Amino acid sequence: MSISEPDLKNKGAIISAKLGTKQAIIDILEKAMDKGIFDAVLIPMRVPAGDSFAYVLIKDKSLLKEAFPLPPVMSVQGGHAVSSVTRLGKGKTKIAVVMRPCEIRATIELSKLGQTNLENITLISIDCPGVLPISDFLSDPKKSIKLFDDAVQKWDDKIMRPVCQICDKSSMITGDIHIGTLGAKKDSFFIISSSQKGNDVLDKLDIALKDSIDSWEAKVKIISEEKLKKRKKNLKELKSKIGGIDNLLDAFSQCINCHNCMRVCPICYCRLCYFDSDKVKHPSEDYLQRAESKGSIRFLPDTTLFQMGRMMHMSLSCVSCGACEDACPMSIPVAQIFSMVADDTQGLFDYVSGRSLDEPLPLVTYKEEELHEVEDAND
Amino acid sequence: MKKEEEFMPKILAFLCNWCSYAGADLAGTSRLKYPPSILPIRVMCSSRVDPLFIIKAYLAGADGVLVAGCHPGDCHYDKGNYYTRRRFAMLKKIFEELGLESDRLLLSWVSASEGTKYAKVATEFTEKIKKSGDNSVKKEIFL
Amino acid sequence: MTKALKINKNSEQGVLELLKFLLESGKVKGVFTLKKISKDGAVAYSLITKSDELKDAVPLFPLMPVNAGKLLSRFTLRGETTEPVAAVVKPCELRAFMELVKREQGSLENIFVVSSTCGGVYPLKMAVDGSIDKNLSKYWDAVKKAEIPTNLRSACKGCGEFKPYAADMTVDLISKNDIDKQCLIFLNTEKGMEFAKGMKAEFLEKELDKGKLDKFRSKREAEKKKLFDEIETKMNGMDGLIEIFGKCIGCHGCMRVCPICYCKLCEFESPDCEYKPSNYEMELKRRGGLRVPPDTIYYQLGRLTHIGISCVGCGSCEDVCPVDIPLSIIFKKVGESVQKMFDYIPGKSIEEKIPLITFEKEEFAEVED
Ligand code: SF4
Ligand code: SF4
Ligand code: SF4
Ligand code: SF4
Ligand code: SF4
Ligand code: FES
Repeated sequence: MSISEPDLKNKGAIISAKLGTKQAIIDILEKAMDKGIFDAVLIPMRVPAGDSFAYVLIKDKSLLKEAFPLPPVMSVQGGHAVSSVTRLGKGKTKIAVVMRPCEIRATIELSKLGQTNLENITLISIDCPGVLPISDFLSDPKKSIKLFDDAVQKWDDKIMRPVCQICDKSSMITGDIHIGTLGAKKDSFFIISSSQKGNDVLDKLDIALKDSIDSWEAKVKIISEEKLKKRKKNLKELKSKIGGIDNLLDAFSQCINCHNCMRVCPICYCRLCYFDSDKVKHPSEDYLQRAESKGSIRFLPDTTLFQMGRMMHMSLSCVSCGACEDACPMSIPVAQIFSMVADDTQGLFDYVSGRSLDEPLPLVTYKEEELHEVEDAND
Repeated sequence: MKKEEEFMPKILAFLCNWCSYAGADLAGTSRLKYPPSILPIRVMCSSRVDPLFIIKAYLAGADGVLVAGCHPGDCHYDKGNYYTRRRFAMLKKIFEELGLESDRLLLSWVSASEGTKYAKVATEFTEKIKKSGDNSVKKEIFL
Repeated sequence: MTKALKINKNSEQGVLELLKFLLESGKVKGVFTLKKISKDGAVAYSLITKSDELKDAVPLFPLMPVNAGKLLSRFTLRGETTEPVAAVVKPCELRAFMELVKREQGSLENIFVVSSTCGGVYPLKMAVDGSIDKNLSKYWDAVKKAEIPTNLRSACKGCGEFKPYAADMTVDLISKNDIDKQCLIFLNTEKGMEFAKGMKAEFLEKELDKGKLDKFRSKREAEKKKLFDEIETKMNGMDGLIEIFGKCIGCHGCMRVCPICYCKLCEFESPDCEYKPSNYEMELKRRGGLRVPPDTIYYQLGRLTHIGISCVGCGSCEDVCPVDIPLSIIFKKVGESVQKMFDYIPGKSIEEKIPLITFEKEEFAEVED
């Protein structure tokens, strides 16, 4: 593999968390703010009505006690949140961002796409148990929070979204610091650094990376292998169901063109989507002609073209975060379909979206000798 | 003993170039007394004031927003202020419907020669806003 | 006295008969209507040019996958259709189209409008779980008896504008007790009569019974009052707005499906709503914290001021909201309150100007200092 493993392999720090992981994370962040390591923290908080969570950029430390790392829903993909703060450049504020691994991976993709500036950002990820489908959560937020907590205790993903159930990267470290809860002893967790920035932060916090993380690694290995197996199986089944143009058309037959999926996708950053632009607005004669050639067309036509176009545009960077599926009012398994395609397209280039900042986006680079299988054999 | 500091509201005022801005100017050069609460923004015509400007100012925490232009019939562009009045009436209605403090918004006609009126409007609006107090929206984080 | 067309078939079959006639006689080149488009029964608007394709059409299906006004606008955006097309749409969809035409986003030219007194539609959620078909007989029963079917979208439950204003033909549905045997279509315009000519059906001299509609209207108004009262207790200032919209995920689906929001690039997705780090720094200094992405409330307030005056209460916004915010009631309530100021019913008549692009010299003295 072309990617070098972090040099701090097998080392981390065990943090004791008598008051729970959440509180311990908040304490560390507070200390880091006190020491001036960070000026602000971007982290989820419960909204005032208590029926959802939102990312809040916190500067006033007293707000930190209401922070809610690892909320039970992904109301906004964190990659979006980071991008909205740094899209127009870096600021003076040093910001710590606490997110799920797929959100960090989206952030890294966005950085490669020039939509996020990571210079003053420290990315902190946490082992992710998955999230609930937003509609399930909303049907009873209070109860859902409890159900979610129980599921996290048992690391049981049955009630999580389908894409979370097949996520083999739920502990993938791609940011600066990772918080590992898997394989840790009761009332403790691991802090792992994975970059120079991470090292510096932990150093200033007097957190020495001297403990073994073998038990975390072992546990992560088991879980991700299990999930990878399930991923391959489920996506293969999906492919047999929706493969072929007729089945694909059927899969999107309920699609109402609201483009929610595109709008909430962290990778779809275009200000004006091609499929909302003038390019797709045609004279009435064109529509009539198309109808005449078939006797009838769906109106608007090109629903599936939008989906395929979106795949072309972004599947190489899709992080399988599930935001699109959550936002689809027609309950189309958009994220599962996109994950299926993404695994194939990224596989073609041995690329994993968001794995590393140093890996170039496949379509902005090339090798002289590659992909001969797509060329005409006579050449 | 230190006197407790009095609340001085921040009021954003959109003043049309041809009448109200000149009126404010006159109030200044005539050394009329009015409170330092007003932050003027010059616009070419009161109709340039997109209701979104007013909303934005309110959400940013302005304690009051004043829109001032030429008297009806006197708009430099003939009818700009008639449109302004409709939009303003609509916005105020929306504020009322949502239970937002529509009293923090004011529309007034001030001509270039009405320095005294400008000073009066500024003073009275400031007094009124003082009574309403701080716009609590300025501290809100969940906007 | 208006003329009416009587077809001895159930209402939907009757409408299909009419559409078939229009296509086959060459009076129209195409028919725009709801149609089943997949094996599992998904319903979508379609443009049909061959009459045998009408077999899967379901013109009166109680669902609004997309507001048809928006679709007709897309169809005629690049210029009027040169060939006549018949469109079967619901009253609020027609009103939305009229508002769009007023905004130069489409053309009525050569669009032949068939509408009906409307019993309302079911939420998209029921299209997803396939439960509309199971409810159909109950639905038509309720329409017959001029009742409000349960499970209807709340926008429809409280809709007082169920009678189309500017349709060429109106299908009589509400409070007509023999809709499963007989289809009655009123011919409201010259064009309506012209297009019906030659059809094998009975022509009657008949007027739509206003009395029975008024009774139904009062039921709907009562329902609306209930919905409005309920939301009113929640719309109490900024805290209330944050309670309601706090869970908004910023997908802007409500804007994208709203027929009135036609802008190429919405203000709230434009560079105006992208901020520099220094802007954030200022906000942080002032507030100590800020939700990001920001502008949740700004977006809603902004959209209310942009389209409230023309909101037709079609309910599309609420239907697509992934987090079930009662948008249609909020927009309808606020919308109606500003529409009332100008005595304006959006989409009622093509001649009436949108209130914000016109004025009277003497008005609204009460908002002046
Ligand atoms: S396509 Fe869907 S799953 Fe993939 S990155 Fe976008 S929102 Fe996430
Ligand atoms: S969110 Fe769902 S309905 Fe909307 S465009 Fe995407 S797939 Fe279609
Ligand atoms: S705001 Fe909602 S109810 Fe009003 S016209 Fe738009 S989509 Fe329809
Ligand atoms: S909210 Fe305003 S700017 Fe956005 S699409 Fe609607 S009318 Fe246009
Ligand atoms: S559809 Fe709902 S979640 Fe999406 S922007 Fe509108 S109110 Fe927010
Ligand atoms: S120029 Fe003064 S209001 Fe138009």
